Amino acid sequence: MATRNRTLLFRKYRSSLRSVRAPMGSSSSSTVTEHNSLTGAKSGLGPVIEMASTSLLNPNRSYAPVSTEDPGNSSRGTVTVGLPPDWVDVSEEISVYIQRARTKMAELGKAHAKALMPSFGDGKEDQHQIESLTQEITFLLKKSEKQLQRLSAAGPSEDSNVRKNVQRSLATDLQNLSMELRKKQSTYLKRLRLQKEDGSDIEMNLNGSSYKAEDDDFDDMVFSEHQISKIKKSEEISVEREKEIQQVVESVSELAQIMKDLSALVIDQGTIVDRIDYNIQNVASTVDDGLKQLQKAERTQRQGGMVMCASVLVILCFVMLVLLILKEILL
Amino acid sequence: MVLVTSVRDYINRMLQDISGMKVLILDSETVSNVSIVYSQSELLQKEVFLVEMIDSISVSKESMSHLKAVYFIRPTSDNIQKLRYQLANPRFGEYHLFFSNLLKDTQIHILADSDEQEVVQQVQEYYADFVSGDPYHFTLNMASNHLYMIPAVVDPSGLQRFSDRVVDGIAAVFLALKRRPVIRYQRTSDTAKRIAHETAKLMYQHESALFDFRRTESSPLLLVIDRRDDPVTPLLNQWTYQAMVHELIGLQDNKVDLKSIGSLPKDQQVEVVLSSEQDAFFKSNMYENFGDIGMNIKRMVDDFQQVAKSNQNIQTVEDMARFVDNYPEYKKMQGNVSKHVTLVTEMSKLVEARKLMTVSQTEQDLACNGGQGAAYEAVTDLLNNESVSDIDRLRLVMLYALRYEKENPVQLMQLFNKLASRSPKYKPGLVQFLLKQAGVEKRTGDLFGNRDLLNIARNMARGLKGVENVYTQHQPLLFQTMESITRGRLRDVDYPFVGDHFQQGRPQEVVIFMVGGTTYEESRSVALQNATNSGVRFILGGTAVLNSKRFLKDLEEAQRISRSGSHMV
Repeated sequence: MATRNRTLLFRKYRSSLRSVRAPMGSSSSSTVTEHNSLTGAKSGLGPVIEMASTSLLNPNRSYAPVSTEDPGNSSRGTVTVGLPPDWVDVSEEISVYIQRARTKMAELGKAHAKALMPSFGDGKEDQHQIESLTQEITFLLKKSEKQLQRLSAAGPSEDSNVRKNVQRSLATDLQNLSMELRKKQSTYLKRLRLQKEDGSDIEMNLNGSSYKAEDDDFDDMVFSEHQISKIKKSEEISVEREKEIQQVVESVSELAQIMKDLSALVIDQGTIVDRIDYNIQNVASTVDDGLKQLQKAERTQRQGGMVMCASVLVILCFVMLVLLILKEILL
Repeated sequence: MVLVTSVRDYINRMLQDISGMKVLILDSETVSNVSIVYSQSELLQKEVFLVEMIDSISVSKESMSHLKAVYFIRPTSDNIQKLRYQLANPRFGEYHLFFSNLLKDTQIHILADSDEQEVVQQVQEYYADFVSGDPYHFTLNMASNHLYMIPAVVDPSGLQRFSDRVVDGIAAVFLALKRRPVIRYQRTSDTAKRIAHETAKLMYQHESALFDFRRTESSPLLLVIDRRDDPVTPLLNQWTYQAMVHELIGLQDNKVDLKSIGSLPKDQQVEVVLSSEQDAFFKSNMYENFGDIGMNIKRMVDDFQQVAKSNQNIQTVEDMARFVDNYPEYKKMQGNVSKHVTLVTEMSKLVEARKLMTVSQTEQDLACNGGQGAAYEAVTDLLNNESVSDIDRLRLVMLYALRYEKENPVQLMQLFNKLASRSPKYKPGLVQFLLKQAGVEKRTGDLFGNRDLLNIARNMARGLKGVENVYTQHQPLLFQTMESITRGRLRDVDYPFVGDHFQQGRPQEVVIFMVGGTTYEESRSVALQNATNSGVRFILGGTAVLNSKRFLKDLEEAQRISRSGSHMV
């Protein structure tokens, strides 16, 4: 697809026009810059010149980009990117959490793989690591989600639209992360269960064969020994199963809660809410509606009987006061 | 696919090199171009956190200098003025200007003059100046579409603006495709001739360097034709999904506004999206006829009910986990099913209320089969029928008049009178106006297949063989045109070349531009033709996408103007 760059021509015109303007306006522009540097007060040039530091976080989420080129050339105050509003800090915090959660998920994947490999050790420390990682990730997700609620803004202004959209975008990221976590967990559990069953089958077989071998000999004692060991084994298995189920239930309920909260924020792809023109129209209509409501409220407030009552009472008070003073004077 | 991909590529390129939080500013036309191919969630991924219109952006005084502004607008003088004002009082940190068509040097000069703060970082031309929602179909969404029917003397400046917009649109399409075509036009249409010549001037003279692309072995073909050569297709009622939705309810930029129906329960979706890119069910059913769609929807509902049942039947913990995993997909499926079911239900209601099955049968007979006497009887019957709506009566008389213009003028007159007496809102003389614009003398193509012997024979054969479906037997004239091009037999007499252009053999890529508007029936015909892999790829475009309501509105508007014009003269 073809494009054409007109920037060079534009810059040429701009510089030539500037040189035409400069001799006339140089005095005024220098005073303007002085004014700016002294007070930083608002002029027609916009906000104070400040270079916000580039964000060191997520490479694709830098909220304070670098500004224009040739800073030395401009004698007038170039409008560079100013400080973003406060809520941007909240959103940056959330994206830090998300980034951290992502790295932890990668670690979790590795830990899962290691735990699934057959090993001679107990596997308890692997379990521990997996548990702690999962807990950390869930904690991060919950914290991010709580912070996300703080981004909700009131009032139809342009800034609130930006906030809402940032919120939506972060909500989508969070939801994707939680789904990924769920999937990882379920595949791990499935594979673990398969492994355990295989293991317990082999053990059962061994027990069964040895049971047969010692059948004729120490009948009762062997029987009860085997029975006890079998009972103990199945107890252990059921305890473990219960623990796993408990874990799964917990994580499912936690994530379900997160997903329910997020689904209100996330855009359903392919629906009308995902259309740009629909969102623009909606903004326009809500702004209009908001304006109408405000006007109506103003009108009713002005006409309100309350105002009348209050003013009547105040006047009465004054009258009484005057009468009281008169009474004192006359007496 | 091609045009949709081009627009998406343009937008991606606009946004990818600019880091940080951005605001995208569009005008009333580019908002359609962008919304139909790019979704809000994709914009959010590219860190565009605010989308505004260029009109409303100057109202607010909030300074948001932490945002970078990306403008994507048409280079009209109106927009340039607004931009001037906004550059003089910049609200954002940086300004990146992208124009959807060619800029004049004077416009760049004006912008450079107003950029005292030097906030503009780049000025580019990205030629996404058309609305393309389907693979081989684009439109220019022009509001004053009716101007093509009016002779130049009545409103020369209006026609010039019309022509300029069309030429800009066509140029943008070819720049997006990176091709320079050989141009042919329909001889009998002045508007088509004018547009063809002006496009040729632009591509071969004024901006010859810009259009100088790598030559392939056969140049593509641009064919500019006039809607009036086939006035039948926009008048017919449609029975394939996409065309039917547009005909009965209205499809604008792939959105359906159900508010006009008015009879929906409160919690139903008021506006829905029908996009072949995003909706797999729609993609496989958009060209199917109504009966098949009904069956497919029933199948979809059954599948969905099964999934819903299994979701309700949660007994074990694994079931619970699986439910939570699959919930987003389940929700999406539910939304999709309810959307299609609503649409088909509403359309069935309309078909029932307007008795469209009977009306459409007569329409198809008028369009495809012969027999003047029987046709007259059928039309008279329907005109007498109380439950047939005014617009349907008007369409029937128009179709009859177009076909039997010269046969039995007495009966034709009787029909006009009956129509006028039956339909109170009917603007008198509209049918006659249509005949003057698109009557048999004005038409080039063989609309009813009764001009040359080959077509007559073909029609007779088809009549003997019988048709699969009485309601979809009509083939738009465009189909014949495409066949002629594929066989390399498009007559020079009817469709001459511009200037000294010439084409050896047959082209491999053809863009057909229909001045006056296209219909979804024709875009379906193009898509089906492309699917046959005949070696020629067709792309269809027009000034608007018509349904019968729009076509009649354009006719009325043109009639009103030419009447007032003749009064002035």
